[in-house]
Amino acid sequence: MSQLIDPRAPRVGAAVTSAFAILGFADAYTSFGITSQFLAVLLFVLFVWSVFFPNTHPYKKLFQAIKPRLGEPKELEDARPPRFAQQVGLGFATLGIVGLVLSSQVVVAIAFAFIFIAAFLNAFFNFCLGCQMYLLLKRVGLLRS
Amino acid sequence: MDNLLAVLALVGAATLVGLAYRFLHGRGHSVKSKKQIDLERLRPIRNGQVSLALGAEATLLQFSTSYCGQCPSVRRQLVALDQELGTVHHLEVDITDRLDVAAHFGINQTPTVFLLNAKGQLVYRVGGIPNLAKLKVELEKLGVK
Repeated sequence: MSQLIDPRAPRVGAAVTSAFAILGFADAYTSFGITSQFLAVLLFVLFVWSVFFPNTHPYKKLFQAIKPRLGEPKELEDARPPRFAQQVGLGFATLGIVGLVLSSQVVVAIAFAFIFIAAFLNAFFNFCLGCQMYLLLKRVGLLRS
Repeated sequence: MDNLLAVLALVGAATLVGLAYRFLHGRGHSVKSKKQIDLERLRPIRNGQVSLALGAEATLLQFSTSYCGQCPSVRRQLVALDQELGTVHHLEVDITDRLDVAAHFGINQTPTVFLLNAKGQLVYRVGGIPNLAKLKVELEKLGVK
């Protein structure tokens, strides 16, 4: 049996991520200044952190701080699909960094937009794109067990 | 002004996707072909043991994976129906390592629930968390009171 997590924990993190991503998108879309550069790097660092060292992640601390207000979860869920979703997020954050290196406004804006959509749906609609893709990708053979 | 419009468009698009997901998720649809389901090959589990017995009036065949967060709660709900009605059996197939089964039936997400009639033919299927009220309507069509 793999690790079980409180399903609300990734959603709290996703809410913060979506806020960063929409701010980054707004700046990348127009002035493409220091704000979007900073946020692209920030999101990349946060995704690397959650993929490789999830136990020390600031989102985890944040969730632990607000958990007493939320009460006990109805269900726990498997950590694998949300972890996979973080890897998908890291993929798009990496795209953002590539966009910065190429100083391509379009690439950075697209990366922010994708991160925003995925994080927003996860946080506010409990719709985890990465989780939904998990079985599909396994089926087409892109993922190994 | 430009970036405000772009941000609104992005948030609006994400919200529409989320609402569409909410609306479509767990709705299910009737299956015209009435494909005969081969329980012999699926070897589903009922009450912790392999059971090939169809319910006298209907069978709820749930496909789950070990990394599926919502599967246990759906199982509990459907097992409750099984126990309450008696003529409806809840059978479950773990397809974590049986991607051939997922491919055969076109299952892209778990849980997926098949409703079988008394003869074991597929008449209705739901991807995602089934809407219980709708499921009960479908059960009534099969003569379940």
